Amino acid sequence: MDRTQLLIGVAVALFSLGLVGVIVRRNVLVMLMCMELMLNGVNLSLVTFAQQTATTVGAVLVFLVFVVATVEIALAIPIVLLLVRDKRTLDLGAYNELKG
Amino acid sequence: MIEGLLQTADTLLLLLCAVGAVTGAVLMVVLRQPMRVAIALITTMMLLGAIYGLLGVHFIAAFQVLIYVGAVMVFMVYTIMLLEMREATSRRFSKLLIPGVAGLLVLLGAIVASVWRPLPSPVGELGQISYGIAGFSVSFLNDYWLLFELTSVLLVAAVVAALAVIGIGRRASRG
Amino acid sequence: MMLTTIALLPLLGFVLNGVLATRLGGNLVGKPFVTVVGCGLPVVSFVLVVVACFTLQAGGYAPLVETAYRWAQIGEGRFEVGFYFDRLTAVMALVVTGVGSVIHVYSVGYMKDDPGYGRFFAYLNLFLFFMLLLVLGRSLLVLFVGWEGVGLASYLLIGFWFDDLANARAGKKAFITNRIGDAGFLFGMFLLYQAFGTLDMDRINAAFGGATLPAVSASLVGLLLFIGATGKSAQIPLHVWLPDAMAGPTPVSALIHAATMVTAGVYLVARMSGVYLHAPEASQVIAVVGVTTAFFAATIALVQTDIKKVLAYSTISQLGFMFLALGVGAYGVAIFHVVTHAFFKACLFLGAGSVIHALGGEQDVRKMGGLARRIPLTFWTFAIATAAIAGIPPLAGFFSKDEILWYAFASARGGSPLLWGVAAATALMTAFYMFRLLWLTFLGRSRMSAEVEHHVHESPWSMTGVLALLALLSAIGGFIAVPHFLEPQLALPAVDETLHHFETPLLVVSVVLALAGLAAAAFLFGGPPERAERLRARFAGVHRWLSGKYFIDELYERVIGRPLVWISDRIFLRLGDRALLDGTLNGMAALGRGTGRLLGRVQTGSLHLYAWLVLVGIAGALIWSLRHV
Repeated sequence: MDRTQLLIGVAVALFSLGLVGVIVRRNVLVMLMCMELMLNGVNLSLVTFAQQTATTVGAVLVFLVFVVATVEIALAIPIVLLLVRDKRTLDLGAYNELKG
Repeated sequence: MIEGLLQTADTLLLLLCAVGAVTGAVLMVVLRQPMRVAIALITTMMLLGAIYGLLGVHFIAAFQVLIYVGAVMVFMVYTIMLLEMREATSRRFSKLLIPGVAGLLVLLGAIVASVWRPLPSPVGELGQISYGIAGFSVSFLNDYWLLFELTSVLLVAAVVAALAVIGIGRRASRG
Repeated sequence: MMLTTIALLPLLGFVLNGVLATRLGGNLVGKPFVTVVGCGLPVVSFVLVVVACFTLQAGGYAPLVETAYRWAQIGEGRFEVGFYFDRLTAVMALVVTGVGSVIHVYSVGYMKDDPGYGRFFAYLNLFLFFMLLLVLGRSLLVLFVGWEGVGLASYLLIGFWFDDLANARAGKKAFITNRIGDAGFLFGMFLLYQAFGTLDMDRINAAFGGATLPAVSASLVGLLLFIGATGKSAQIPLHVWLPDAMAGPTPVSALIHAATMVTAGVYLVARMSGVYLHAPEASQVIAVVGVTTAFFAATIALVQTDIKKVLAYSTISQLGFMFLALGVGAYGVAIFHVVTHAFFKACLFLGAGSVIHALGGEQDVRKMGGLARRIPLTFWTFAIATAAIAGIPPLAGFFSKDEILWYAFASARGGSPLLWGVAAATALMTAFYMFRLLWLTFLGRSRMSAEVEHHVHESPWSMTGVLALLALLSAIGGFIAVPHFLEPQLALPAVDETLHHFETPLLVVSVVLALAGLAAAAFLFGGPPERAERLRARFAGVHRWLSGKYFIDELYERVIGRPLVWISDRIFLRLGDRALLDGTLNGMAALGRGTGRLLGRVQTGSLHLYAWLVLVGIAGALIWSLRHV
């Protein structure tokens, strides 16, 4: 196994664990953090592949992913705050207004 | 020989960082208290930054630590502290624990089966710096200037949205 | 253009009266306008028919042909609206417009106080228009339009006082029974068109008389067309509508159900004589059906107590005679009987109308009697017409009926002593029941209630004048040698040489039968009522059977009506409409609803489930691409 394969394996592991975390954990904030984990996994794979070319495209993409992640978290947390203020609990099982 | 040793040390460090990152991720999913989960995530991110450094893209490593750990995770930690609810008795896992784990295994299997083949040989050697931050910036602002502008727009949109959220929050608290 | 004008004038009358004189147009015009238009236009038509007759004669009796316009062109087939005027048409058109016009005049007096005055004349004119289409038409298609149209007019007029549900039902019964006959008519038309590519009657007759054998069986076509005639001319088994049709106003009964419409079937067979000359089996059937109907209807008429019902069954019986004549090949004689029957039957019906008018609506003969002195004009015209129908010489009915009886016996095309025997018995019964009617209505002691008796009065001149005219025609009409006039076109059948010496004896027998009927009626009903009562008591069972009209209506109801209603209710309504159609539609809706409900169970509102579904999707896509890419 060479380096590339190792890093891709790590990326895959991070992404999968993040996805499972979203499915499995009840706490809203923990779910958010797992989504960040997913983004990190993707970022790692991007960097790995970007290194294999001579252009800067990969790096630019990585940078853009950073920006998007920032923006996302900047908005996701206030939304969570508002929701929690309403429901008074961080348990996702209480949020089922979308039922039916 | 020093080269060989450095090479080996390099690889070993990489391996260590990789293992650490994955361990952090597993801990994230398993730990009970949110604060500890956040610490685990920070660890994973730092180690990822180290990996980027080992790969030679130091500026990206810097961005990783600065943006992710410095901004995103700090914000996260603040929020966890703010929303500290006495939920020690609340359950950790959702109803979909077993389907989730089963799905994970299937997914891993599928992905690994998909990518387990010799990857194309890299143009450049891993670890070789083909461009530094200077080169990156120059090409970013010359060739990909449109994306740069779009990111600023996106950030402005985020600021506006944040203000709106505050507004909603204020109205909700008043009414 | 003349023939088209003859037909269109009554239509104009219908449109004018129908729009202006009814509630549709807001009752814009008064009775005088309706009278002038409603009666005037038929009279003009009559004059034009007379002119046409002279034109025909001047042209050496070559048929006048007029094509009004081309109705349709379908592929190779051309369907034109064309009119045809030859000897037969002349006779029929004269009767239709002549008798029709005088009945219109009669209606002026009869319907004077009716609020639907304008509507009545509109419908009468409509009827006249369609009847003229029927007799003037060149092709079977135009005839059929007229056929259906007179059926429509009959329906409208039978149910003229539709506020009474029984009248509306009678109209409906007439229309539907006619329709059943029309099915046979249509099939006949289809066969003819398929065989000859044309529906022009003169061409079809020529084709059957030609050298080559036509592709279609003449008997089959003959029978199918006769089925149509059965419906229209009230022969067995489709005779049930005519007695019920008496629910309409009396002028309607006189015009439509005595003089003109019901003779349309006779006209059809006579017109298509070219076919029937080559169809001995069909002709046999016609003769048998005709004579059976005649006998059967006469027996029922013996015991009826409603004045109009007696006349209705009498009409059926006389129509049977006409078909008997047609069946043995004496087409001209049948038309002769149509003419004389129009005269005396119209006179009888209108006379009955006059009686009903005088008695203020009473129609039951058991409540009449002794009217001869009170309404003498009506009495004498009724008496003359009764004598005519009974066949007393030298009145009109004697000549035509005697010719029918002679040819029933002696015609080489199916005449037989059996046919003669049944027909003679019917003639005897005809004389008997008609004189019975005369005695019960006019003579003897009065059985009227005092109030009714007080109001008895003679009818106005518009009504009695017409009665006088028709009575006169009934008296002298027999001397119009109609069969002789029609002979070049409708040849009289050959008579076996050996039978010629029976002619005079049979003539004497006819007269004897008529006089015997008169005597029997005078004896039974001229004296005290106990005589008739005793006779009735002795034959109580037969009397009940005859009064109930052999319970044919009940039979039809039991055998045809009720099963059809059952089928409609059980099979078509409950099974077909509700269970199948509604069930399918509702089922599909329920299916949609159920599927929606099932699919809706995916949306639990649980974010964990959604995320897990994303994972399943990704894994699935990867696996699929593994196997196929």
